[in-house]
Amino acid sequence: MAKTVTPDAISVILANPCPDSSSDLPEIIVQVVDLKPTGNKYMFMASDGKMKVRALLQSTLASEVTSGNIQNLGLIRVLDYTLNDIPTKNEKFLIVSKCDVVSSALEAEYKAEVKVEDGVNSLKQNQEMDADVKTGSPAIVLKPKQEVVTKSAAQIVHDQHGNAAPAARMAMTRRVHPLVSLNPYQGNWTIKVRVTSKGNMRTYRNARGEGCVFNVELTDEDGTQIQATMFNDAAKKFFDKFQMGKVYYISKGTLKVANKQFKTVQNDYEMTLNENSEVEEASNEATFIPETKFSFTPIDELGPFVNGRELVDVIGVVQSVSPTMSIRRKSNNETIPKRDIVIADETKKTVVVSLWNDLATSVGQELLDMADKSPVVAIKSLKVGEFQGVSLSALSKSIILVDPDTPEAKKLRSWYDSEGKDTSLAAIGNDSSPSNRNGARSMYTDRVTLSHITSNLSLGEDKPVYFSIKAYVSTIKPDQAMSYRACKTCSKKVTEAVGSGYWCEGCQKNEDGCSLRYIMALKVSDASGEAFVSVFNEQAEKMIGCTADELNEIKLHDGEATYQKKLKEATWVPHLFRVSVAQNEYNNEKRQRITVRAVAPIDYAAESKYLIEEMTKIKVSN
Amino acid sequence: MDTSNPAAFVNAELLRMYVGRRVRAVIQVLRNDGGSIFGKSTDEQELVIKGQPPNPLTTFVEVIGIADSNRSIQAEIWTNFGDNFDVSSYNTVCQLANGDFKHLFI
Repeated sequence: MAKTVTPDAISVILANPCPDSSSDLPEIIVQVVDLKPTGNKYMFMASDGKMKVRALLQSTLASEVTSGNIQNLGLIRVLDYTLNDIPTKNEKFLIVSKCDVVSSALEAEYKAEVKVEDGVNSLKQNQEMDADVKTGSPAIVLKPKQEVVTKSAAQIVHDQHGNAAPAARMAMTRRVHPLVSLNPYQGNWTIKVRVTSKGNMRTYRNARGEGCVFNVELTDEDGTQIQATMFNDAAKKFFDKFQMGKVYYISKGTLKVANKQFKTVQNDYEMTLNENSEVEEASNEATFIPETKFSFTPIDELGPFVNGRELVDVIGVVQSVSPTMSIRRKSNNETIPKRDIVIADETKKTVVVSLWNDLATSVGQELLDMADKSPVVAIKSLKVGEFQGVSLSALSKSIILVDPDTPEAKKLRSWYDSEGKDTSLAAIGNDSSPSNRNGARSMYTDRVTLSHITSNLSLGEDKPVYFSIKAYVSTIKPDQAMSYRACKTCSKKVTEAVGSGYWCEGCQKNEDGCSLRYIMALKVSDASGEAFVSVFNEQAEKMIGCTADELNEIKLHDGEATYQKKLKEATWVPHLFRVSVAQNEYNNEKRQRITVRAVAPIDYAAESKYLIEEMTKIKVSN
Repeated sequence: MDTSNPAAFVNAELLRMYVGRRVRAVIQVLRNDGGSIFGKSTDEQELVIKGQPPNPLTTFVEVIGIADSNRSIQAEIWTNFGDNFDVSSYNTVCQLANGDFKHLFI
């Protein structure tokens, strides 16, 4: 066994970031450079003479360094490792979990000489003229002697692909089209894709009858993704055929423009497969379930996502697991199993996660059995709801990992073991419940500035989004219709009846009198900007200080000046508002509509605390 | 507006930096002796405020005057601040106004 650095060892590692520990890794020997302790672990640069990657020795190996086995400038054979991305920089990070010592410190940092290949290499020629040492880098004497390795094209390809199956070959015998080239106008294609997500079979009922449907997410070699849906017979035919992580050749599907509301992957098109479509498993491809990529949101930052469309990933320590409950679905009277788990994270907040169907019965049961060990769970693709303030709900595409072997899980585990399990944890819902009847306290959930709302016109595209704002009323136009005639019983709009009195469509009867209820548009401003909002009766009454009927009296009997004065008195008054933002289409134009749902007076003590907090945040981020 | 003699926001700790100068502070009234009051500053220390307190006097009062020692203020202006007051926020204001944001105040 040559005691030398494996050429292109770093490339091999980069090409295979997550090797199975059972598979045979090619020999990876690297030189340890810049070895330095950080805390109780050791960091170094792993070098193959050509490339370097930042690396860390797992704490179990730290003793090898302190005992002198692993030395700086020494060689180690990497036996087991993981390659992670550093999210903030565009760099990779190697964690070596198992290694052998190949050699003690070399005299200097090894630099690979230029490979001898068939082509002419002028650099090498120059160096050969300068020195007559065998290695390409002058003035570095290396012990032990490094050998020049010539490589054939096949060798280089093999090293670069590590142990991945030779993908290129099959593509040449079958005309496989890249996913990105598919379009609805060309039907003659075959694609080779891996199933990266498989949904559950769902049943539905519509005007045409009943049916069943499921969809899969397909990814091809280039990384392009597309969603494929199958209905009824095709669904039954292919449901068992498609397995997560396996590769298939698919042809004779149809493409259409993707429906944005249901879009889960980035593709303008989506595919439908029917009974004539062909799906064939690519038998020589290894099943590769891509590592689930998470982007965790800390529990105390879930607020802004409530009722939004964006899905979140969370990681936390399980505090409790409920027994299975049966919920009856209203639409088709189906009963579904459900289980609620409570998780906590370093923000010292807890949140309830609702698991449904398979997740409730399988993973849910697993968690219940191990609940006393407080396992760490990482969950991907959760919907954020507003039950009890903030709640999380799993979808069919949610993925749950129990005690995953990731740095975040380890960090959470050590936090929990050292302080988490003893500290008192507060439920995230508690002091930020959007139940708007209680004014001040709830006005701090999802606090945003007006410009946050007005600058993002896609807010509330399918479902209205809720925010809290603090703003001043800046303008109330006196000549708008402030109110509408409303039925005294049901508050719906009434129309003038033929004889006398008013007709209420809701109550289906004539009323003698009616009351006026506010419906007005006003302009509000805060430090960031201004916006128009609609206000309804209860809130407007609080802001103007009198009922719509009273205001109307003033307008009719007390004169224009008094009327305008009444409105002026309501301007430049600050309020805390709870608003809903929705998108409406008006004359083919999309408009943002902000409606006030609740209004509360400013609680100066609470507001001061909020401002101090915001100031601290700005200071810290600077 | 007369900006010739600004009063610095102080609590007990900051008062000593302004001895002889004009200060303002919110005090929680502990004892009222007629000629002076004994009060608690927003950082929980006892201060003596000399002068003529208003009648009636609420629990919290803002005094503006000259600091004549590091534990007392000769008050010229008294303003009743009511019975409910968020002491910790005011204390933070004193610290910020004399620290990071001093340039915005004096």
